[in-house]
Amino acid sequence: MKKFFTNIKKYYRYAIRSAKAELKSEVADSYLNWLWWIIEPFCFMLIYTFIFGFVFKNHTPYFASFVFIGLTAWEFFNRMINGSVKLIINNRDLVTKVYIPKYILLLSKSFTYVFKMGISLLITFALMIFQHVPFTFNILFLIPIFIILYLFSFGIGMILMHYGVTLNDLANLTHIVLRMVFYLSGIFYNINERLHGNLKFLLLRANPVAFLMHQLRNVMLYGKLPSFEGLAIWFGISIVLCIVGIRIIHKNENSYAKVI
Amino acid sequence: MKKKQNNKKNIAITVTNLHIAYRGLKKTSIRASWHKLKNKIDIYEALRGVSFEVEEGKILGIVGQNGAGKSTMLRAIAGIFSPDKGHINLHGRTISLLSIGVGFNKKLTGKENIYLSGMLLGFSEEQISEKIDEIVAFADIGEFIDKPVKTYSSGMYSKLAFAITAILETDIMLIDEVLSVGDKKFREKSYNKMKELISDDKRTVLIVSHSLGTIKELCDEVIWLEKGKIVDKGPVEKILPKYEEFMS
Repeated sequence: MKKFFTNIKKYYRYAIRSAKAELKSEVADSYLNWLWWIIEPFCFMLIYTFIFGFVFKNHTPYFASFVFIGLTAWEFFNRMINGSVKLIINNRDLVTKVYIPKYILLLSKSFTYVFKMGISLLITFALMIFQHVPFTFNILFLIPIFIILYLFSFGIGMILMHYGVTLNDLANLTHIVLRMVFYLSGIFYNINERLHGNLKFLLLRANPVAFLMHQLRNVMLYGKLPSFEGLAIWFGISIVLCIVGIRIIHKNENSYAKVI
Repeated sequence: MKKKQNNKKNIAITVTNLHIAYRGLKKTSIRASWHKLKNKIDIYEALRGVSFEVEEGKILGIVGQNGAGKSTMLRAIAGIFSPDKGHINLHGRTISLLSIGVGFNKKLTGKENIYLSGMLLGFSEEQISEKIDEIVAFADIGEFIDKPVKTYSSGMYSKLAFAITAILETDIMLIDEVLSVGDKKFREKSYNKMKELISDDKRTVLIVSHSLGTIKELCDEVIWLEKGKIVDKGPVEKILPKYEEFMS
């Protein structure tokens, strides 16, 4: 574990720089440039709000904000998982030529996703003001919730990153699982209203994305306190996942160059 | 090359009983790994028990046929591979494998790529800021340094890449095939720079090359590898004739 922190200390500036570089190159030659970072999530929100608000007649209060909070959290999780599976192979050039702790690659990637999530969060705030969502200080709890979301995604990401090196078709599997989680997380419907009984109980507790999303909405939209017990449990699980991930990477990272 | 004849030799690299095999992690699919336990995976041993020491300031050449394990060994010493058995001790020295254009992002400018690549080689931002003018001057690609790398010709690309590795120096340098990049003028310049770099008293260098002329000119000692084992090692004058005879 000590090795992990010395590595982070040594390489975090590289991670930041390379994240910036990636963001810059992403918008380097598109006409609307960085505006895409705002346009894209905003349009998705419009689509979902239209379909599920008007077509399926959803009466959840502050529905647009509701959808947007879900999307913000989901997009981050989705990007982390999809990004990590092929991360080593996509960085072939780097991995076969220099030594770099492999989770630094994930760290750097995650910075770009955090940045995009930040933009998405800002749009959410704008939307909440627009919809006159009553303000409470409970909103500050979104910070620990996002930290848990990050740790959880990072832990899973490291593990997937490792197996993604050797299992060619892992990406296919993660696509399916992600799609399932997407629909089971209540991004554009309220699990509390739509589902009943065991399924609701299970989804809101055993599906970390649904759970965290639900907590986010509680603190941001409805001025409620989050479930501290649930947050503590998922925090614990995330830490365990991170430790497992770090162990796996430390044990195997120097063999990746032989495989890819 | 006469060096300080201290009684206590300063060892820069110690390699003991190095074994490297290509196996274990192997590309596979989920379906295939289902039956994996039954099937034995074929193991290719690239290095089988190599041991040697290099003194500080020495220039060591590594010769051998294709597939002898030369590049594998360099990469292991650079820390890119982990040994399956044995140890590599660098006695706390910094090391880099001289390779071209690591971590370049083609959409960014040359200058930005100098930082990215340099930090990957283990240098801090401050160290690179100190050296950046020197790198830019050596690369000698004019105003292109502020343009995206994708607009470079391949010659300019390698010039910039070489300049980065040549100016940002480490205690130990590993060179896989002496680089010949750019036009004739730059090639001469880079060859001279390389000579200047590796003849530094403090710098230890390992060179892999198929060009015996280069080895003869640059190296103090030679290791002859064949099929993952050391056939012979010693001063250049002693080993090279034997190797030449073997190869002919």
